Amino acid sequence: MKPRHILALVLLTLGLIMAAIPQNTTHPYKLSPEALLEHVNSGMQYVTPDEIADMIINEDPSLLLIDIRPENEYEKFHLPGAINIPLSSLLDEQWKPYLDQDTRLNVFYSNSTVNANQAWMLTRQLGYKNNYVLQGGLNYWAETIMNPSAPPSTSPDEEIARFEFRKGAGMALGGGAENATSGADNPAPALPKIAPKPTRKRASGGC
Amino acid sequence: MGPLISYNIISQNTNFLLAFLIGVGFGFVLESSGFSSSRKLAGVFYGYDTVVLKVFFTAAITAMLGLLFLSLFNWIDLDLVYINPTYLYSTIAGGIIMGAGFIMGGFCPGTSFCAASIGKIDALFFIGGLFIGILIFAEGYPLWEGFYKAKYLGIPTLSHALGLKDGVVVLGIIIVALGMFWVGEWAEKKFPREEY
Repeated sequence: MKPRHILALVLLTLGLIMAAIPQNTTHPYKLSPEALLEHVNSGMQYVTPDEIADMIINEDPSLLLIDIRPENEYEKFHLPGAINIPLSSLLDEQWKPYLDQDTRLNVFYSNSTVNANQAWMLTRQLGYKNNYVLQGGLNYWAETIMNPSAPPSTSPDEEIARFEFRKGAGMALGGGAENATSGADNPAPALPKIAPKPTRKRASGGC
Repeated sequence: MGPLISYNIISQNTNFLLAFLIGVGFGFVLESSGFSSSRKLAGVFYGYDTVVLKVFFTAAITAMLGLLFLSLFNWIDLDLVYINPTYLYSTIAGGIIMGAGFIMGGFCPGTSFCAASIGKIDALFFIGGLFIGILIFAEGYPLWEGFYKAKYLGIPTLSHALGLKDGVVVLGIIIVALGMFWVGEWAEKKFPREEY
């Protein structure tokens, strides 16, 4: 048998194997557990309530708050401009353009930080960028922005300034009565228009 | 795990170094298998020498099989492998220009550099023409930008268009390629040419 015939046979055999076995459609996750642990430990995912309050008041268009609590809780109360992506449906194809993007600042929040952190870890593992977590969740938000407690008058100036900011922000955002904010008064905003991300990060190349 | 560059396993600079080494190896093999001879390259159009067809198709099916097996073992994420996007009209026009240049000049862009490296004068002229073409394309870009970007099809693949599994398409291409090799060898016997 000539070498070319052997080569042809080998190629045919490999082709037959390839045709017979199911296609691999899994995508290996992007981050190693060690790298993820490092990110978690560094707390790099957190955005403070003060930063968020400032962005909401200034109507910063780059901010997208994502409420990951179940729909009924979202309807009872949510932060201004927040959209609802329940954690259970986080991986639905319809949310991918919102989560996998590189222009906006996505901030997850839930009542505490547990569920928001879960959402953040999932998106982090999928290699999505620009996703963050509201530090302390809604509970801490209520504590700091909605009902800030006055620091003792002996506190340093920064402390007093922060309190003044929080008091102002809380009033601007309907503070003190956040529980009264009903779904009717504060309807869910229309989903922002998202242009689909044109290309994934591919290795560049060509002939 | 792969592509190495997308996963930041190697840096862009390492990538260039590897590309350089692979390129040198590629050029060496091209030259040593006779691809610097324009007569040999043009032979594929006249049927007296189909080695170009055989080499490039063997490379293509080897690479296809390799990528699918790597993907099967989870060593590469095929979604991250670059595929040239298709602009239908400019692909057709480019194919015609490339084909005409190939028959007339006896080189494709890569082999012309290969031949120039061993001092072939016709290859130097070919490269000169290549640069004139690049210059005309780049300077006149506003004129043909519309045509260049017309009929954008994204990145269509055979398996998508046919609704088949990648593996089945690969098997089909292997069978077609082996058939072509057989026809090519038949043509070599049918249209022999003594000296070239």
